[in-house]
Amino acid sequence: MTRDLFVLAVRNVLHRRLRSWLTVIGILIGTAAVVALISIGQGLQRSITQQVEQIMGFNTLLITPRGPGLQARVQLDLAALREVPGVKAAVAVRTETAFVQGPTRSGFLPLTGYDPAMEEFVAELHLKLAAGEGFSQRGQVVLGARAAELIGAKVGDVVTIEDRPFRVVGILAAQEEGRGDTAYGGIAVNDSLFVFYEDLKELFPGPDLAQYGFVKVAPGAEVSAVKAEVERVLAQTGTTEAEVIGFEELTQRIKTVLRGVQAFLAGIAGISILVGGIGVMNTMYTAVLERTREIGVMKAVGAKNSHILLLFLFESGLMGLVGGALGLLVGLGVAQTAAVVVGRLFQVERGFSAAVSVGLVIGALLFSFGVGAISGLLPARRAALLPPVEALRYE
Amino acid sequence: MTQPLLRLEGVTKVYRMGQVEVPALRGVDLTVDPGAFLAIMGPSGSGKSTLLHIAGLLDRPTSGRVLWAGDDVTSLGAARLAELRGRHIGFVFQTFNLIPTLSALENVELPLVFQGARPRERRQRAAELLAVVGLADRQRHRPGQLSGGERQRVAIARALVSDPQLILADEPTGNLDSAAGREILEMLRGLNERGKTLVLVTHDAEAAGVARNILRMRDGRIEGEA
Ligand SMILES: Nc1ncnc2c1ncn2[C@@H]1O[C@H](COP(=O)(O)OP(=O)(O)OP(=O)(O)O)[C@@H](O)[C@H]1O
Ligand SMILES: [Mg+2]
Repeated sequence: MTRDLFVLAVRNVLHRRLRSWLTVIGILIGTAAVVALISIGQGLQRSITQQVEQIMGFNTLLITPRGPGLQARVQLDLAALREVPGVKAAVAVRTETAFVQGPTRSGFLPLTGYDPAMEEFVAELHLKLAAGEGFSQRGQVVLGARAAELIGAKVGDVVTIEDRPFRVVGILAAQEEGRGDTAYGGIAVNDSLFVFYEDLKELFPGPDLAQYGFVKVAPGAEVSAVKAEVERVLAQTGTTEAEVIGFEELTQRIKTVLRGVQAFLAGIAGISILVGGIGVMNTMYTAVLERTREIGVMKAVGAKNSHILLLFLFESGLMGLVGGALGLLVGLGVAQTAAVVVGRLFQVERGFSAAVSVGLVIGALLFSFGVGAISGLLPARRAALLPPVEALRYE
Repeated sequence: MTQPLLRLEGVTKVYRMGQVEVPALRGVDLTVDPGAFLAIMGPSGSGKSTLLHIAGLLDRPTSGRVLWAGDDVTSLGAARLAELRGRHIGFVFQTFNLIPTLSALENVELPLVFQGARPRERRQRAAELLAVVGLADRQRHRPGQLSGGERQRVAIARALVSDPQLILADEPTGNLDSAAGREILEMLRGLNERGKTLVLVTHDAEAAGVARNILRMRDGRIEGEA
C-alpha cells in the first residue's frame, strides 16, 4: 500500500514535469552550494592536518609564548625540561636578526641558534644538507639555501656575523615554498643562518629569550602525561608566560577555526536550500489546489486522511530527494574543480582534493529529503484534512 | 422483516456561509432495504446531492442519525468512515470523477489500493470488471482518451470493484447523450437484477423509470413516492 502510494507519487511528480524540474532545481542549487562548501572545507581540513603532521609529528609538543603579538618570547629552562621523564629532546628556537658579511654581499639576515638536539626534529622536518659536513664545533655556520645565495657563500668560506668570523660548514637543501617558511614554527629556513646556540647567546648577550620551544616525547610515553609534566616544570622554573600545545590540540584549533568558517558559509548557502524548500511548498500548495477534486474522489473510494497525507509527502520528499541527489553530484563536481584550481593557484604541495565523506553523502540526501518532506507537510496536511464533500464539489 | 441496509432518521443539513444559514435538508427520513433500487427526483437545489453525500458517509448531518446495517455511524471517526465507504459503498458521479493521470484499469483498481489488496489480485479483479462493463480493450486508455459513455462505464466498474453492498449514483447520465445514457441506465438496472442495492439521483423522469421506487424531493424534504 505504501509502495503503491509511492509509485503514485512518482507518477504525479513525473506528470507535471516542467514544474517538478523547476522545483527540483531550487533544491539542487542550495544542496550543491552546501555540499561544495563542506566538501572543500573538509578537504582543506584534511590537507592542513596532514601538513601539520609532516611538520610537527604526533609526538611533538610546541611551547609558545602566551602573550599577544608576534614579538612575544619565552625564557626556557631546557635542562629542567630534559629531565622530565618521557622527554626525548627539548630545544629552544631563537632567531635574531644579525648583520652578516659574506664574500659578495652583506646584509641583515635571520640567525638561528643551533642545538644538536635539533637533529631529533630536523630528521622529521626533512631538512637536508645540500653541501658540507654540518656542525662539529663552535664558530661554524650553516646557511639556508637562499641565504647562501644572497651573500654568495660556499662551503669553506668564512663569513662575518656581527663582527665575528664563522666558517661555513654546510648549506641546506632548498625548502619547498610553503613548507620551508613554516618549519620551526615560522622560521624562514631558506633565508636563515644557523650557528651554535651558545654562539648566538654570545653574539646577542642579555636574557635568553626564544620564540618557541619544542619538546619531543619519547616513543611509548603518554603524550598527554608528558605535556602535563612539561607544563608543571615550566611553571616551576618561572616560565609562566608560555603555553604547551600538542599536535592534537594544534590540529584541533585549526579545525575549530575552519569549522567555524565552514559553518558560517554553509549556513549562508543553507538559506538557498530554505528558498528551495519554499519552492517545494509553493508547488505542493498548487498541486493540492489543482487536485482538490482528485483528493475528493480518492476519499470517496476509501482513502483515509493518512493515505492522502503520505501521497503528498512522498511527492514533495521525492522532489527534495532528487534535487538533493543531483545537487550532491553537482556540488562534489564543483568542489573537485575548485580544489584543482586552488591547488594550481597556490601551488599547494601535492595539491589538496575535496573530501567526499559517506557522512556528507548520506547527510545531504537525508537533509534534502527532509527539506522536501517538511516543506510539503503543510500542503499535504491541507490535502489530507479536506472534507471529502467539499473536495468533490470543488470547481 | 430484513434489516435495512441504510437508514436516515430526521436528517437535517444546514450550510453556514458567514452569517447566512442555508438549509439544504430539513428533516429527512429514508430507509434503503437490501436489493432496493430507489430513484430520488426533484428540482435543482432541492437537496438531492446533499442527501446522497450523507447517505454515502461523505458528509455528516447537522442533526439526525445515520444507521448503516443497524449501527449508528453518525459520529464515527473519519478513518472508520473512509473504510466503510471503501468496502461497502460505490459512487457514480455526473462528472465521472476519474483520475486523469491513471489508466482505466488503474482507476478501477484504486479503491482496492486503499484497502491494501495485493497488486496481482486487484489488477485481475479490475480487469474483470472492465470486461463486465464492456471495456476489456480499453484498459490502458486514460480518461481523456475515452468517450463520455466509456468514462462512466469505467466509473461504474470502479464503483463495483470492491463488491459493495450499496451503489449511489448522482445524475450518472447528466453528461451523456441519450443513447449512452440509456446504456448506463440499463447497466444499473442489470446490477439491481443481480442483487445490488442502488440509489439513483436524477431529475430526468425517464431515467428514474428504471428504478423500482421513485421518491420526490422538494426544498430539503422528501415529499413522498411518485
Ligand atoms: N457547500 C455548500 N455551501 C453552501 N450551500 C450549499 C453547499 N452545498 C449545497 N448548498 C446548497 O444546498 C442546497 C442543496 O444543494 P444540492 O447540491 O443538494 O442540490 P441538488 O438537489 O443536488 O441540485 P442539482 O439537481 O442542481 O444538483 C442548494 O441550495 C445549494 O445552494
Ligand atoms: Mg446535485
